[in-house]
Amino acid sequence: MSGDLIFMMGIFEVRFPSDRNYFESHLWLQRSGENYRVGFTAYSVRLLQDVYFLDWAIDPDTVVRKKQEIGEVESSKALSTLYAPADGRIVAFNDAVLDDPSVINTDNYGAGWLFEFATDAQTLTPTEYLEHLAAGWESTQRMIKGQMNE
Amino acid sequence: MAGQRITVVISQSQSKNPQVRQLEEEIATQLMLDGSVEVSLIPHLYDLTADHPGMLFLKSVPGDLVVLSWLYPRASRWILDRNGIGGQEGVSELKSAEEEEAEDEDEQFQPSENAIGALNPPKRKIYTIDLRVRDSADEFLAEIKRIAQSTAVQTVDLMGWIGGNPQPQQLQQYLNPQKNGNGHVSATDNGDGNGHAIDNGSPVKRRWYPVIDYSRCTNCMECIDFCLFGVYGVDGADRILVEQQDNCKKGCPACSRVCPENAIIFPGHKTPGIAGADEGGIGNLKIDLSKLFGAPSALELAAQERDTELVADGREAVGMTVGIPKRQQSTSEKRDELDDLIDGLDELDF
Repeated sequence: MSGDLIFMMGIFEVRFPSDRNYFESHLWLQRSGENYRVGFTAYSVRLLQDVYFLDWAIDPDTVVRKKQEIGEVESSKALSTLYAPADGRIVAFNDAVLDDPSVINTDNYGAGWLFEFATDAQTLTPTEYLEHLAAGWESTQRMIKGQMNE
Repeated sequence: MAGQRITVVISQSQSKNPQVRQLEEEIATQLMLDGSVEVSLIPHLYDLTADHPGMLFLKSVPGDLVVLSWLYPRASRWILDRNGIGGQEGVSELKSAEEEEAEDEDEQFQPSENAIGALNPPKRKIYTIDLRVRDSADEFLAEIKRIAQSTAVQTVDLMGWIGGNPQPQQLQQYLNPQKNGNGHVSATDNGDGNGHAIDNGSPVKRRWYPVIDYSRCTNCMECIDFCLFGVYGVDGADRILVEQQDNCKKGCPACSRVCPENAIIFPGHKTPGIAGADEGGIGNLKIDLSKLFGAPSALELAAQERDTELVADGREAVGMTVGIPKRQQSTSEKRDELDDLIDGLDELDF
């Protein structure tokens, strides 16, 4: 899309649609009815690569605090706990990605959304998210390389 | 002679990890080609409801049964038991490194003498094997062969082990069953009856509920007192029972921490002891001083977890005031871990 912002992860180009906002924890959020839909940004997906398994540790319609553990993701590159991006209420999960998590890879900004979220939290504009990425890129690379050399 | 053959059921992982899928399919394919056992594929055992075709199939198996799953053997054994699929515990020789170590050190968990046990299990044997203990299909196949042979000796019918060979096309059909969303058995039986996949086409919803290990449970009722969500009940013989599985709160393992016999399993929990691993091994040899430094006890943690779920339901937090007193009394009479730890320190050679 023409309005997309672009960030270079090394030589790899990742896109961020400008029709939505972002969380620092590399999730996007977009208004959907009364709530927001939340999903992985292209940056997260690039680091995860093929997603094999997604599981939630809470029931839908649960009030969460920022950084509370909410689930787990397994991919070809990583196994990670997932945390609430902000204070709010997780209203519903996208059952389709539980059954077939590969949608996260094929359509992370669309059908691969993760959950519906009700929140009043401050979020980042696309430009602010890009600045956040640029500021963190060096340390992210160091973090990943450091783990690989362990 | 098919009645004499043992049945091998492969419960598939929730993960779409290709290595995981490959192991499942390689075991299934080899068993089919060999033809000496019945083999079926079902979705993840823990997620199956009582009326799912995969569970109905398991209930229909009359003879010896081998269940391979991505669960600890105790977890799958007692999930089966809860669904009325009982039998004598078959002993697999495939164990995790931790279990073998625990056996060498002779420090396996000793169930209480007052454990109530399974309710009238039939004579047939059920072997539950964890697919995570080995990486190669060959070791699982060798173990299945060993189990099949030991059973064959008992039934004195070696002729029953000669089976047919599937056509390549049948094998293909078996490994890639037709999607079938209507909930009926989509068994792609290959004609000579030694392999099919059962309803792997229709998605199964993830579930979360406790599983009671009756070889440890003493029917003390602490869990039913502690849980405030109506998960537990008792059967006609006043035996504790996980009655309303889906009343359970996703992610909450609190009752498992409260159980004095470690008899409550949450197969999907991250902590191996809660997910059904046998305790023992190197972890128990290390001194854990975290309690001295202010970490919550298992009971405190359980009360916190329960409060979180109560508040989420719009109810009042109850802290340590409900469902806990009995245990505190009984532990205060006994030596506690700290007593053992302090005495144990003297014996250590620093």
